Amino acid sequence: MEELDGEPTVTLIPGVNSKKNQMYFDWGPGEMLVCETSFNKKEKSEMVPSCPFIYIIRKDVDVYSQILRKLFNESHGIFLGLQRIDEELTGKSRKSQLVRVSKNYRSVIRACMEEMHQVAIAAKDPANGRQFSSQVSILSAMELIWNLCEILFIEVAPAGPLLLHLLDWVRLHVCEVDSLSADVLGSENPSKHDSFWNLVTILVLQGRLDEARQMLSKEADASPASAGICRIMGDLMRTMPILSPGNTQTLTELELKWQHWHEECERYLQDSTFATSPHLESLLKIMLGDEAALLEQKELLSNWYHFLVTRLLYSNPTVKPIDLHYYAQSSLDLFLGGESSPEPLDNILLAAFEFDIHQVIKECSIALSNWWFVAHLTDLLDHCKLLQSHNLYFGSNMREFLLLEYASGLFAHPSLWQLGVDYFDYCPELGRVSLELHIERIPLNTEQKALKVLRICEQRQMTEQVRSICKILAMKAVRNNRLGSALSWSIRAKDAAFATLVSDRFLRDYCERGCFSDLDLIDNLGPAMMLSDRLTFLGKYREFHRMYGEKRFADAASLLLSLMTSRIAPRSFWMTLLTDALPLLEQKQTYELMRCLEDLTSRRPVHGESDTEQLQDDDIETTKVEMLRLSLARNLARAIIREGSLEGS
Amino acid sequence: MHDAQMDYYGTRLATCSSDRSVKIFDVRNGGQILIADLRGHEGPVWQVAWAHPMYGNILASCSYDRKVIIWREENGTWEKSHEHAGHDSSVNSVCWAPHDYGLILACGSSDGAISLLTYTGEGQWEVKKINNAHTIGCNAVSWAPAVVPGSLIDHPSGQKPNYIKRFASGGCDNLIKLWKEEEDGQWKEEQKLEAHSDWVRDVAWAPSIGLPTSTIASCSQDGRVFIWTCDDASSNTWSPKLLHKFNDVVWHVSWSITANILAVSGGDNKVTLWKESVDGQWVCISDVNKGQGSVSASVTEGQQNEQ
Repeated sequence: MEELDGEPTVTLIPGVNSKKNQMYFDWGPGEMLVCETSFNKKEKSEMVPSCPFIYIIRKDVDVYSQILRKLFNESHGIFLGLQRIDEELTGKSRKSQLVRVSKNYRSVIRACMEEMHQVAIAAKDPANGRQFSSQVSILSAMELIWNLCEILFIEVAPAGPLLLHLLDWVRLHVCEVDSLSADVLGSENPSKHDSFWNLVTILVLQGRLDEARQMLSKEADASPASAGICRIMGDLMRTMPILSPGNTQTLTELELKWQHWHEECERYLQDSTFATSPHLESLLKIMLGDEAALLEQKELLSNWYHFLVTRLLYSNPTVKPIDLHYYAQSSLDLFLGGESSPEPLDNILLAAFEFDIHQVIKECSIALSNWWFVAHLTDLLDHCKLLQSHNLYFGSNMREFLLLEYASGLFAHPSLWQLGVDYFDYCPELGRVSLELHIERIPLNTEQKALKVLRICEQRQMTEQVRSICKILAMKAVRNNRLGSALSWSIRAKDAAFATLVSDRFLRDYCERGCFSDLDLIDNLGPAMMLSDRLTFLGKYREFHRMYGEKRFADAASLLLSLMTSRIAPRSFWMTLLTDALPLLEQKQTYELMRCLEDLTSRRPVHGESDTEQLQDDDIETTKVEMLRLSLARNLARAIIREGSLEGS
Repeated sequence: MHDAQMDYYGTRLATCSSDRSVKIFDVRNGGQILIADLRGHEGPVWQVAWAHPMYGNILASCSYDRKVIIWREENGTWEKSHEHAGHDSSVNSVCWAPHDYGLILACGSSDGAISLLTYTGEGQWEVKKINNAHTIGCNAVSWAPAVVPGSLIDHPSGQKPNYIKRFASGGCDNLIKLWKEEEDGQWKEEQKLEAHSDWVRDVAWAPSIGLPTSTIASCSQDGRVFIWTCDDASSNTWSPKLLHKFNDVVWHVSWSITANILAVSGGDNKVTLWKESVDGQWVCISDVNKGQGSVSASVTEGQQNEQ
């Protein structure tokens, strides 16, 4: 057996506290597993009634969250758009499209986060509130990871712009700055506010030097004594060379300028220019990239990746992507300082800095509770042509594997399953067969739903499934005595046997009540009539009735005769037909009918009826036959006379 | 309770137990409403099985009282539709064939025989019996998924494609046997799979996902679970792979719908879930453990998320 990276998670079920009982289970269609205590021994002796509890365990509970549902729905649209991106596009235009898709996904996550945050605040039950808050932090972590992946793998930012992107990334995710800023600026005397220097420091840590300068000018105004050094610091901040988007300077130029600026800062430190203000001096050290000074600000930095980016900003702003991981690892180590160990999120980010995409996906799969994140991210990265395919037994590559898992999870839900269909469509290897297996299990509670499912199957030429579903619906209709519905379903299923069964029911109903139900359907069978002999008979018999009603007696008579002679009429119906025929007949036809009658009476097969029943029936039958014989004879006589006289005159 | 089975759509649950009853629950939306309590057996009921919904709502149950009862729902009420009393000893397992074959039920019994009931219409069932399928007794039966040999051409209505019907059985002779229906309608033993050293408790034939291999899972009193695979191209050679050796009897194995996860339930009070990894090795992905008073994360999440 292969080694797993971690122990499989153990899910505990509250159960009967007895060592004797075991757990039994069964798979449900929507990935649900029913577990219960059971009692099963080799010697089937004990009949002690056990205490049965049944639990239903679901793998993908997230599917049932209202807010996350929006995430699933909207990301589904983005997913489809991505699959349809023109494969011909290459180079820059393709890259910008892919980046746009990535940003779309992220904005959906953020929207979801925002909504859940609102709900968390508004929650009346603190336990609920806590749960929502933890969901918010999970979503936030997801967005953090995705954003980093976008910068490193999709945007593929080169040295120079790389740092700018990382700065944006950090600013987006460490948001205390804004509320702090509002607090301080909103106060009467900002520079005297308790958190003033914290604010300035964090602005510097985030490379927001313009804003920091503005803060300093307030300080300069408030305490003229330090105005001078504030101005010098402000100048330093203003002159720090940084790559701006429109800038045309080369990396080498930038590096040179930065080197100079760095040396200038160094000189100020040596001269102890800022010795009078400990705050300003520590700011200077930060701007010099002094690790110790940075680490002093752990609380403001709040996490190691902030520390990493700040460090890079002030010590190596033109860092190359491939060198990132050295800094990343050391930043993590320095920040944690041996006091705590890395969390799953830290490992995921580290893997990203190491450009180890597979590791990122693997760790995310383990850490997250559902497949949404890894499925969509992997799919996007696959479109960036970044994944080499590993041959997995399920799904020929990782992308497909994850999409299949995600889509299967959707099928557990009464309406989200429709999204799952599209995902299966874009899994070339096993998507179709997975869809076939799942779609048959969707409960067809309403006609609408059944039609929806059928349409999906028909669009994909899943004829077996169509047939099976139609048969199920036909059976359901029969049980609910909706014969018309049953008939149309069995025709759609091309199920001759069932059509025969339903036709028989129709005919039986007719015998009992003297009229047909669902006339419209039977009248308009068209070529479908050929599906089964019984059905053909039903259609033709109804046609006979119509002709009779329209007084087209000659046609009706011929039709009836052909029905009898062609033998498609069931024997049980012959008496009825003969009775129907009587008023219509001419001489020739009467002979035919008499022959049929003899046929009928001479070969009466016995079908499992008890002796007494048969005798009774025989009595009735005999009487009927006798009457028919009499009527036929009379008819014949009349016909002969009539035809004889007509011919005569 | 000995057995429970979800119906095709996961909306109903049938359970059976030592108190001789078969109960049916409606389990939609997480509820558990008792719909029917079926009495008719005279001994503990060992297993229940739902038929495919295209035949209506039909449930089969088998019991220590040597009988197999087929229950049917008609006009909203459940009734006994048929009783099969052709065995001399406890009937341990029932399994419906793939719906493509029609309505066929396989029953395995402690008298060593396997009987096959085929519905022929008008409330009639035709019985075929395989005597001495397993010496001492048969504990489990499982049908192979329906696969038409050759290409799957759309057959005109009324004409049934030539399916080769197969099923697997596990018995007290420590063997798993594969049975095939011959052209004359008789069932012949096609293969004997030997690997277990004690009674085979359960066999499960995996659903087909379109690949040319067939897979069977088997578990036994000896604590071992084997995965048997057959490469259909060369046919007839089944190779076993040991999934795991547990410390206690393994009672039940079952495949998920798309056959990508195998669930195993054993005497150590755990249900474990297994998945095949990249290199063909089987890996345990989760343990579901019957706890002693601790609350399960997934169960409570499920409850709380139902807003």
